[in-house]
This record gives sequence, structure tokens and C-alpha cells, in this order.
Amino acid sequence: MRNRPLLRTSYNQELALLDTTSKKVAVGILLAVGAALPWLVEDQLLQLIGLACVTAIGAIGLNIVTGYAGQVSLGHAFFLAIGAYTAAAIAGDPDARTIGFGVQEILIWLPAAGLVAAVAGVLVAPLATRLRGLYLAIVTLGLVFIGGHVINEWSELTGGPGIGRQPPAPKLFGYDLNASDAFLTRDQKLYLLMLVLLVLAALAARNLARSRVGRAFTAIRDRDIAAGVMGVNLARYKTIAFGVSSFYAGCAGALLYVGVGYFDPTTFNLLLSVQYIAMVLIGGAGTVSGAILGAFLITLLPRLIREVPSFLPFISNSPAESPNAYQLETVLYGVLIIVFLIFEPRGLFGIWIRLRTYWKAWPFSY
Amino acid sequence: MKRLGMIALAAVLTVGSLAGCRGGDNTDNSKGSSGPKSDVGITKEPCPKSEHKDRGCIYLGIISDLTVGPFHVLAVPITDAQKAFWKRVNAQGGIGGYDIDAETYVRDNKYNPQTHNEAYQEMKGKVLALAQSLGSPTTAAILPDMKQNNVIAAPAAWTSAYAFEDNILESGANYCIESMNAVDYANETFKPKTVMAVHLAGDYGDDAAAGAKIAAEKLGMTFINVKTDSGTDKQAGAVTAIVTQKPDLVILTTGPADAAAIVGGAAQRGFKGRFIGTSPSWNQGLLATAAAPALKALYLQSSPWKSWASDTPGHKAMREALPGVTPNDGYTSGWVWSYPLLAALKKAQADGDLTRAGLLKAAKSLTKVDYEGMLPDGAGNYAGGADGIFRQSLIYNPTVGAGGPNEIKLEKDYFTGSVAKDYKLDKPCYEKL
Repeated sequence: MRNRPLLRTSYNQELALLDTTSKKVAVGILLAVGAALPWLVEDQLLQLIGLACVTAIGAIGLNIVTGYAGQVSLGHAFFLAIGAYTAAAIAGDPDARTIGFGVQEILIWLPAAGLVAAVAGVLVAPLATRLRGLYLAIVTLGLVFIGGHVINEWSELTGGPGIGRQPPAPKLFGYDLNASDAFLTRDQKLYLLMLVLLVLAALAARNLARSRVGRAFTAIRDRDIAAGVMGVNLARYKTIAFGVSSFYAGCAGALLYVGVGYFDPTTFNLLLSVQYIAMVLIGGAGTVSGAILGAFLITLLPRLIREVPSFLPFISNSPAESPNAYQLETVLYGVLIIVFLIFEPRGLFGIWIRLRTYWKAWPFSY
Repeated sequence: MKRLGMIALAAVLTVGSLAGCRGGDNTDNSKGSSGPKSDVGITKEPCPKSEHKDRGCIYLGIISDLTVGPFHVLAVPITDAQKAFWKRVNAQGGIGGYDIDAETYVRDNKYNPQTHNEAYQEMKGKVLALAQSLGSPTTAAILPDMKQNNVIAAPAAWTSAYAFEDNILESGANYCIESMNAVDYANETFKPKTVMAVHLAGDYGDDAAAGAKIAAEKLGMTFINVKTDSGTDKQAGAVTAIVTQKPDLVILTTGPADAAAIVGGAAQRGFKGRFIGTSPSWNQGLLATAAAPALKALYLQSSPWKSWASDTPGHKAMREALPGVTPNDGYTSGWVWSYPLLAALKKAQADGDLTRAGLLKAAKSLTKVDYEGMLPDGAGNYAGGADGIFRQSLIYNPTVGAGGPNEIKLEKDYFTGSVAKDYKLDKPCYEKL
């Protein structure tokens, strides 16, 4: 009886982090593969997968406020920017042209980036308590424009558009993660760092979602009036949602460009916010694993498409010819969003659920 | 949870012992028994599209702004010209038994450092050098890695910061020198007392404005610095600054559409001073806009090299290699920028060392580059470092034709202004604005 899916004999079972043996095994295998990757994959791919891990942290953050609590936010790029510049300023070289305090310890700049972004999120939250739906989306859109203007103009901090600045160089207890040494290359170290942080972030988000706070979020998303009537303090929980979400965004922003080694203030535009929305929608709103899947898909998509011309010779690598890989990439984003919203609103996660239900009753899958 | 942790731990320990069984970055090792030494980006197999099946192949990468970025109008012709350039090199016999392939690894950077780095990482293990790396924030994102792996690149930008990088083979006068010369030219011809720099932010605009500032101060003029944003609807502030402060000379570093909005707007409000724009501020299409009369009356253009229709062996070869295209100085730039890399490859081949380190060494040792007359003698002194930068530029009046088709009137041929001649470049100019 113990392992029957959907049969619960206690609340603890219902609330368990991984409720079935197969889930435990699957997660275990995934973690093992993830941990083994640095020794199996080339550095350049590793860098990309590390980037996907960080992007996933940001997507989980957006998913908390948009997927769980139902507050559509287009302002994610703004919070990513706050995290990125807080971390870059704290860890930056004091002698460089841009503001820097030279504290490279990741245990200091990473939480600081998250906290500063969280404070900004809490400050914005009162908007969310007054507005909802489309109106909230448009107001948060304003944040991206204000933030974009500030970082474009404040060149002491950001280097200015067209120049940019370096992201923080991480050190852990004095151990330099930003350079290769005898044991591990730079990309291997950074990937492992990102992976560990993603696992921590995902666990924390999952725990938040199955707590009292998470249930309050879901109640607000499903019907905020009903939630209020039940005694959920709307103002409080919306503030928490924005705060936590921004904390995630801040941490993700701080780490996002560590692998690349350079970033430009014009990066934090509306398109970035929209990409994160796309991750959440394509992955599956309201699930942690969905956000991770979506983030990996959107991050790896351009790379996958660049490989297409070698398999399909009629698609050109040259932008002067049509059809080419660049057009394909641009079009695919749009097509993916439309297709998922129409055919699988639950996203990649929904496809996974269908597969699971199909195999659960196999061979009697009808 | 505990059990899970144990499993994960065991897994980590097992794979820890597997270290070393993945592919490295530099797997392409085709050391031949004869011919020059080589490591990455060179194969004995012929290039995929080559007609010379008996030759090996040297792969060069191109990372450019090909689709949606702000410079794609220029970047596409730059890239086409470079492809044509290397095709011509192959037709002339290649380099030491190798053909050059600059077509297989062409990627779009969308003018975004992250995308640029992704494209670079992807091609890094397969190309010997980069035939083009467009943009300065984008190139800055890959420079540390390039230095670590001895990768050299021809840039597609004229920032003065490249004078300090061994791995970048820049060509022509940088923005800073170009603007110094522009101010110098104005000083000789119409004696301005106040100079205003109207520029975009970033190292394109800032570099040119810094050059104008240094020259203005040296020549005893008043300097006014006005930063503007990209977009024709955002030029009202710049126009107001021009008509209220009435400078005698405005140095423009913007995009073409912005330049037209500024010159047209200022002229409409009665401004009579002169404008000199840097080369990326001009586009022949502006003569079809409403600002054409104002541009004809007030506008001159500084340029790091001669325009498309000029009469030099290099220009002629370029026009022959690119039949039927609409003339555009993007082609000229792409063509000119390719010569130093060709010179470095030839030198490395002569030294018998076509490895990356060998190519970098050859590039560093170049004291001059043969630009087939497109740049005068003395250009391409990379051994000289920041002191060896090229200091000559030209002034055109792009609104006046000069006889031949697509020819424009040359106001002043290659010259070094008094300020630029003595200027010691000790750090990138834009840091001095």
C-alpha cells in the first residue's frame, strides 16, 4: 500500500518533498548526472549549462510570484539588474573605472545581492496590493523602463552602455573559483557552484510552496477575494511573494554573467523580462521543476538552433540567405509560447504529467 | 532524504575518479610531418567549399551583428566583404598550402556580450583566429579568454582601447585620433572658438568626444560636452544645446538617422556653425531625407580610410570581388580590416609556426602591413604597441559628388593633425572624458 500513487494515509505523506520511491530515484539519478557532468562534457558546453542553472534560479523566482502567487510581473529584469550590479559593485576591483569594493567572497556578495533586490521587491509590493492582473503587469513594465534608464545613465556603476563592466569574480573561503587550477578548470568550478546553488534554490522554493505561505500564495492566485475572506492577509502575502521572488532574481542576476565575464547595461531590457515569462509559461507555471525545465530549454535553444544548419542543409547559416538559423530562432520563441498556451497550458511539466499517467497504467493506458 | 544524500555522495565519488575522460577544448591536432607547425583550427582536409582539393584548410571565425543589433546595416556588408576577401586570398594561392575558410563559422552576436561569448566558446576549439569580432562590449567579454588561449582577432570597431591589446589587430586611426584630426582640420580652415561634441554614450561616442576635448584644449578652444541617446525622437535636447550655446564646430558621433535629425533640427532653428561627423554617423541615404539641404550646407565627414569608389589597388580588388553590390563603406571597412590578419598569417607561415601562439607572435612582430594602398605606408605597426598607432585620417564632403560614380568629394587627403602627432596615448581616450 505504501507506494500507491495518489493514495495517502497521512498528512506527512501528502506533504512529503518526494512522495514516491520512483521520484526519489529519479531525482537521485538527475543529481548524480548533474554532479558528473564536469567530467563528461567539454568546458564550453559546461559554461552554457551553468548559465542555464543560474537562469533556472531566476525563473524559479519569477515562478514564485507569477506561478504560485498569480501576480504577473514583467519587472523581473529590473530585479536581476539590481542583483547583478550590487554583486558587481561589492566584488568589483576598487581600482577599476567602475565602483568596486573588492570583497570577492561569494558568501558576502551573493546574499547581499539577493537582499538588496528583495528590499526593492518589498518596496514595489504595495503596487501589487492595489492592482492585479493586466494593470499590475503594466506597472511592473514601468519598473523595467525606470531601471533601464538609471543603469544606462549611471556609468560610474554600470560602465555605461557600449562599455559595460565585469561581473563579480567568486571566491569561496579564499578559494578562487574564477581561475583554472590543477584539479579543476574555471568552467568546471563555476558549473559546480551554479549546480549546488540551483539545488539549494529549488529545495527552498519547493519547501516554501508546501508550507503555510505557499498555500496562501495558491489561494491568492486562485481567487484573491476568497483568500481574503478565508483570512489570508493579502497585503502581507503579496509582499512576501514579491520579496522572495526578488531575492531569487537578485541572486540569479549576481551569478548570471560570472561565466561570460562581462555585461552591458542594455542587457536588462523588456526582452529579458519576457524571456523569463516565456520560461515560466513554457516550463509550466506553478511548479519548480517546470521553471527549471523552461529555463534550460530557453537557454539552450539558441545553441540547439545554431546546430540545425548542419543537419538540415536548406537552412542557411548566413543571414543574407533565407531561410536561415537566425530567423528560425526568432520565430521559434513566438511559436513555442503560442503552441504551449493553446495545446499544453501546463507547459513542459504538463507533458511530463501526461507521460507519467500514460505509463502509470501501462499497458492499460486508456 | 538521508539515503538520497548518500546516493548522491557515492555518485560524486565515483565520477570523481573518471576525471580526464572528456574531450578537451583543443582536440583538433593535425600536426603534419611536413609544413608548418599547427594546433587548433587547421586541418589537412580541404575546406568544405574549396575548389582546391589538394590544399588543407585554415578556419577563421566571424562573430558579427547580423540580425537585430544596432549595427547590422553595416555589419552584414562588413561580413560579406571579409568572406570575399578570403576567397580572393584562396584564388591567389592560399597561404602555404592552405585555403582559408571564413564561411563555416559565422555567427550572430545580436550585439550582446553574452551571445557573443556563447558563439565564441562554441567555435573556439575549431578556429585558428577570428576574422571579425564586432563591437567593443562584446569583444571585451571574450578578451580574457582570447589572451589565455592566444587567439587573435580583427576587430570591427575603432576604439582606442585596442591599442593596448596584443590580441586585437586594429586598423586605421581610432575614433579619438580621428576626432583630434577633425578639430585640427577645422582649426586650419574655419577657425572655430568653441567646439561641442554631441555623442552617444559608450566607447564609440565617448572615445571621439574625448579626442575632440583633448584637441580643443590643446588648441585653446572652449569645449562643450553633450551626450545624447540613440533614436531620432530623442535629439531635441542635443538640438537645443546646439542652438542655445552656438558652438562654431560640432563633432558628431551618432548613428546616421540621429545625425540627420540633429543637423536638420539645428539648421531649422537658424544654426550656422559646422558639423563634422565620424564615419559611422554618415549614410548616403541621408541625402534623400528632409535634412538634405542642411547637411549639404553644414556637414563634413571624417574618415579613417578612403571610401568605396577610391582609386587604389586594394579598392579595385574589392570592387572586383564584390560585383553587383550596392556601394557601402561597410564593404570597404570589412576589406581593410582583413589585411593585418592576412599579414600575420603570412608571417607565421614564413616562420613555420601556424600554431595560435606562433600566429600571435607573428602578429605582435608586424611593423607594417601591406594594405594595397588602402592605407598609406606606416599603417599596421603592431610591434610599436600604443606608440605605434596610426594617426592619419581624412575629411570628406559626402554631400558633393566628385566625377565618377559613387565618388564623393575629398576635402583633405590623409593627414596627421598637430595634436594627434604629439599625442601620447597612455590609456584609452574614453577614460579621459
